[in-house]
Amino acid sequence: MLSEGDWLALGVSIQLALLTTVLLMALCTPLAWWLARRRLPGQALLEAVLALPLVLPPSVLGFYLLIGLGPSGPGGWVAEVFEQRSLAFTFTGLVIGSVLYSLPFVLQPLKNAFSAIDSQQLDMAAVAGARPRDRFFSLVLPQCREGYASAAILGFAHTLGEFGVVLMIGGSLSGETRVASVALYEHVEAGDYVSAHRLAAVLLGLSLLLLWGLFRWQRRRPNLGAMP
Amino acid sequence: MSLELSVQGQRGSFRLQVEATLKPQGVTVLFGPSGAGKSSLLRMVAGLDHCDGVISFADQTWLSADVELAPWQRPIGMLFQQPTLFRHLTVQGNLDYVARRRQSPAGQQAQVIEQTGIGPLLARRVEGLSGGESQRVALARALLGAPQLLLLDEPLSALDEAHKGELLDLIAMAARSVPVLYVTHNMDELLRLSDQVWLMERGRIIAQGPASQELSRLDGSLAQRADATALLAGLVADYAREDHLQGITVGDATLWLPVEQPLVAGESVRLRIAARDVSLCLSAPGDSSILNILPARVIGLREVGPGQCLVQLALAGQCILARISGRSARQLSLFPGADVYAQIKAVALV
Repeated sequence: MLSEGDWLALGVSIQLALLTTVLLMALCTPLAWWLARRRLPGQALLEAVLALPLVLPPSVLGFYLLIGLGPSGPGGWVAEVFEQRSLAFTFTGLVIGSVLYSLPFVLQPLKNAFSAIDSQQLDMAAVAGARPRDRFFSLVLPQCREGYASAAILGFAHTLGEFGVVLMIGGSLSGETRVASVALYEHVEAGDYVSAHRLAAVLLGLSLLLLWGLFRWQRRRPNLGAMP
Repeated sequence: MSLELSVQGQRGSFRLQVEATLKPQGVTVLFGPSGAGKSSLLRMVAGLDHCDGVISFADQTWLSADVELAPWQRPIGMLFQQPTLFRHLTVQGNLDYVARRRQSPAGQQAQVIEQTGIGPLLARRVEGLSGGESQRVALARALLGAPQLLLLDEPLSALDEAHKGELLDLIAMAARSVPVLYVTHNMDELLRLSDQVWLMERGRIIAQGPASQELSRLDGSLAQRADATALLAGLVADYAREDHLQGITVGDATLWLPVEQPLVAGESVRLRIAARDVSLCLSAPGDSSILNILPARVIGLREVGPGQCLVQLALAGQCILARISGRSARQLSLFPGADVYAQIKAVALV
């Protein structure tokens, strides 16, 4: 049905979305905990910055990343960490861009879930003999399962749908940085509407399936849902 | 195994500063108005809130200049106002959570489940439990792992009357094997449970001592209250079957109180006598409907409020209070050492 190139692009998309989601879960867990459970000066500004990808045109983010991660940009050292001259037009660059772009979609559900935890539950767990790390795994995590599921699905689906950022910093190297949404755009540009239709249908179906799964699951647990 | 406290800490608008020693047995009631700092002090003892100073328990230092044990390192069990059961677990899961982490001795769980009567609830999710059931499970959970000190923060405040008595009995039972520090501002709970009392006001403990002594101290804040009440220790004596009256001996005197079922003779009981239920006469009235009229001696008098006088009396070696009008006190010419008869209108078991 799909051409080999399209399968490859879809594979890159899914790989990118999976990696981004995993990284975001690890990054956002402490960040969301800190934002939800502490009150510190400058917090509102920090939250505004972290929420920027929600409203900023993706191309703006992509543009700054392209400049920033380039060899002469202030983030040029990041490329050296990965032993490359520049992160523009590389998969690593795409991952960094996606992490920033999808961050609010993972951060917000986690933050909501952490805010909803009653601090007396944590106190009681401490009296019951649980150390902080133990409390996180035995109390916070199970009570925030819904929040984590929402975060994972939204982070994954949103990364799958990204276009502007990818176009700016990823270019379109087959098997490396050409993701499904960009491949679709190229089909349209080339006037190949049949391929475009097929790929669009696959992306539509996949996105719908993910969101349907999320909402179905949340309906079954009506009190504990945590959508952003 | 006594708890020694010498702590200071800032609590919002006031400074909490407490020096106190907890008796190693029975229930010590930490009593005072709302906002006095009672719960804060309890949280400091648990290690949930930071404070400065020294806390030692038995031969263990919980807090000092260079030691601060975390809550999970202190051998405590705790109840909050709300049951605070772990909501993602079943009742059994809640018990296991503590048992596993606090190294509950083998067989203890079965015993605690039996004591608290929560056997039928074990498989239930905690969301479906009633308030009374939840707090019983919370108590069972607090008893697991053999805590050496129970910290109870107004555990009855979220319960209805019917369930309060049930939980009080369970707490009294638990207190036979482990010392309890019990926070409340409720006089009934104080009378029902306390062996010792710590009176707390504005972040300080202003008096500490045996409950019966603190309750009947003329200069104490408990005696100044409208519901001032004395506690007497007594022994169950004869039962007058035809009158449904139970005799209780207090020293060399006998008090009678109406009961539906006779009590076990020889058992020790506690009686409560409210100051406003005691009136005084200079000679024994031969024609009174009041059952309990006993000779007593005035220890002291104190004016409380406009036109009201509080009289402290020695009765069969123990202390009770009478709240009478200032005019009556003058007309009877009461003075410390005067012999009187106390007419006790109501006396109840606690």
